[in-house]
Amino acid sequence: MRTLLAIAAALLVVTNVWAKPGDVDMGKAVYDQRCIWCHGVEGDGDSAATEWLNPPPRDFSSAQYKIKTTGFDDIVPNDEDIYRMIAKGMPGTAMPGWDDILSEQEIWDLTAYIKTFGGLEEETPSQQVDYGTPVPSSPESIARGQELFLDGERCSECHGEDGKGDSIKGLKDDNGERTWPRNLTKPWTFRGSNDSKDIYSRISVGIPGTQMPSFADPTSKKKLSTEERWHIANYVQSLAKIDEVVRAENTVVKADKLEGDLPAAVDDPRWQQTEASTFFLIPQMIGEERFFKPSNDTITVRALYSDNEIALLLEWDDRTRSIPGDEKAEKISDPEIAEDAVAIQLPIHIPDGMEKPYFGMGDAANTVNIWHWASGTTEKPESVALLNSRGFGEIERREPAQVRIQATGRYEKGTWRVLMKRPLLTSPADQDIQFLEGEFIPIAFAAWDGSNSETGSRHTLTTWYWLLLKPASGNKPLITALLMAFLIAGLLFWWARGASSPKERSQDGNG
Amino acid sequence: MKIPRLLQAVGVIVGIYAGFVLVFDYLLGQVIPSSLLSMYMFFVIAGVFMVYTFTEESARELVAPIKALVEDPSKKRIRNVVFILIPLLVAGFTYQRMSPSFEAPVELRSIHPAPPATVKAYGKRYDLATLKNPFRKYEKAKPEKFRELVREGGDIYIQNCQYCHGDKLDGRGPYAAGLNPTPLNFQDVGTIAQLQESFLFWRIATGGPGLPKEAAPWISSMPVWQDFLTEEEIWKVILFLYDYTGRRPRSWEHE
Repeated sequence: MRTLLAIAAALLVVTNVWAKPGDVDMGKAVYDQRCIWCHGVEGDGDSAATEWLNPPPRDFSSAQYKIKTTGFDDIVPNDEDIYRMIAKGMPGTAMPGWDDILSEQEIWDLTAYIKTFGGLEEETPSQQVDYGTPVPSSPESIARGQELFLDGERCSECHGEDGKGDSIKGLKDDNGERTWPRNLTKPWTFRGSNDSKDIYSRISVGIPGTQMPSFADPTSKKKLSTEERWHIANYVQSLAKIDEVVRAENTVVKADKLEGDLPAAVDDPRWQQTEASTFFLIPQMIGEERFFKPSNDTITVRALYSDNEIALLLEWDDRTRSIPGDEKAEKISDPEIAEDAVAIQLPIHIPDGMEKPYFGMGDAANTVNIWHWASGTTEKPESVALLNSRGFGEIERREPAQVRIQATGRYEKGTWRVLMKRPLLTSPADQDIQFLEGEFIPIAFAAWDGSNSETGSRHTLTTWYWLLLKPASGNKPLITALLMAFLIAGLLFWWARGASSPKERSQDGNG
Repeated sequence: MKIPRLLQAVGVIVGIYAGFVLVFDYLLGQVIPSSLLSMYMFFVIAGVFMVYTFTEESARELVAPIKALVEDPSKKRIRNVVFILIPLLVAGFTYQRMSPSFEAPVELRSIHPAPPATVKAYGKRYDLATLKNPFRKYEKAKPEKFRELVREGGDIYIQNCQYCHGDKLDGRGPYAAGLNPTPLNFQDVGTIAQLQESFLFWRIATGGPGLPKEAAPWISSMPVWQDFLTEEEIWKVILFLYDYTGRRPRSWEHE
């Protein structure tokens, strides 16, 4: 066993040693099979996929690499930077990690070949990022990082006060493509990972080709020492909204029961005591006009109910408050600006068996209720609509007041929070969902970012999840458990007593 | 030192249990279903009990520590602890079993439902038993033309399918995590390699809503591709799927 391990270790060392120099011709063979589809035969990012992807595939002929760890004014990346992007991919983009189907050697070969597109094959980087002395994360370091983040709007100028990338600036990259500052509360969208060392690298090098500058540049007014950059990296890492991360196993929005009235405001503190469920929003690619470049990516849902009402709180990050008619909002929006909006979809009946309405707005045999809230324009206030749908083309508009649906939203620092309410039961009962305690009710969501040309069928959505009005479990489990405990304890003591009494023992022996 | 027989028996049972978990959950990466594990452990416990009580003497030796615990006055303190712990454990177990869990209902659906004999798409009726990929013949007859068709299929794939099925055709595209059921992994030996090209044509052309009920068409996110792609484009994508993954379509003919 030990020798086997030693051989394996030796092999690993050996492969690492000769793996590094990539072979350009071998790399081309892999490239032509795996990469041309997006990055194009010529490596210039011109392919069938280019206009469908956001961000677009990298143009290697530009010789510009966004995620690199060489000096900020050095265009040449390290081979390891390219290797890593291929092996691990770029979160939040269409670039997957390839290390599960390509060998280490193949990735080094690809690295060598990709460099030839930009004429980098002979180049070696002249400088490396100076990591100084890494500062481990601590409350003090995070606090210092926050100060530096906000100081003179150093980072908040683009990333916003709370780091949600919501600052109102129309940013464009060197190619004139619209870019958005990263929402720093969503670390799973960081292209180069949210490891503090990686965040440090981005702060130090910037992101070449975009408006993210280098804070190591001594000529910059906002420049930072190595230590200060570690503080900011620690602060950025601390911004992650851990409680609003998608957990794949959580498919049920659980509504807690409240006595008395339900919250009427989005910031009612009682919402914070409920369990939040977060789901991925995906672009609508299924019917009518298909949509491929969404800006909203997740939605967080909370629910509460009382004896006669249910309330849902929908929360999602949106960098822009889209107000048609508002000059400032229109300036940073992609035309044509529309209202921001959100919708809840529910079947009109709780399904008997497994069958549900088609998740894309129902089907001929199964109608769905859609509660649709829109944020309003300069001319009209926020509004709520009630639709009964039997598929994309079969939508009936109804009067929301008839079933007393209410909705109200508030936009704050890059986040929309919308509260929707309805009585548990309606009359008549056949056109609307009747919310019953303890039943699993299918529920789906949709969102529109009006500044991202999202209207009509161009929007993001979720597939079916579940809503459960958590039944009060009562004290039956507790009472049964106590009864069991007493029963067992009684039996045990009876046994012990019997065993220690000499009289009984002798009787046992005779029997 | 001799290990008491009771401890030995408990040790054997715990060891076997840990072995199951280690082999299935960790080494094989296939979590063992709890119902199966309970059944195995029932036989293990019964077996161990039989072995350890084979003779009267061994049985006596096995229960000796328990007897001593109950009867020996010098073990009063430990007896009291055990007698409080056991009812508490039973109570905890009962409470956990009786509390509602709020887990989502399990939805069973067939992933590869039996195809119908005929399929309606593009305003025509196709007989799936005889339907063939019209481009497959070029693979041998005109390899160059075939390569071109595969290339065209790849472009159609990357524009339409990669969002869910992924650049690597592994069912893990950028939006795959937001879908339930998850997109099919074409690299897996259990998917397209087990199917005829006509089956793929049916699944692509009529999409999720074209599935039979046992496959839960209402939750499938597969678009109805006859609304977006031509018949020829679907056949080209199918060529690409097999070519890229290196799999062969199933066929009735012997090659």
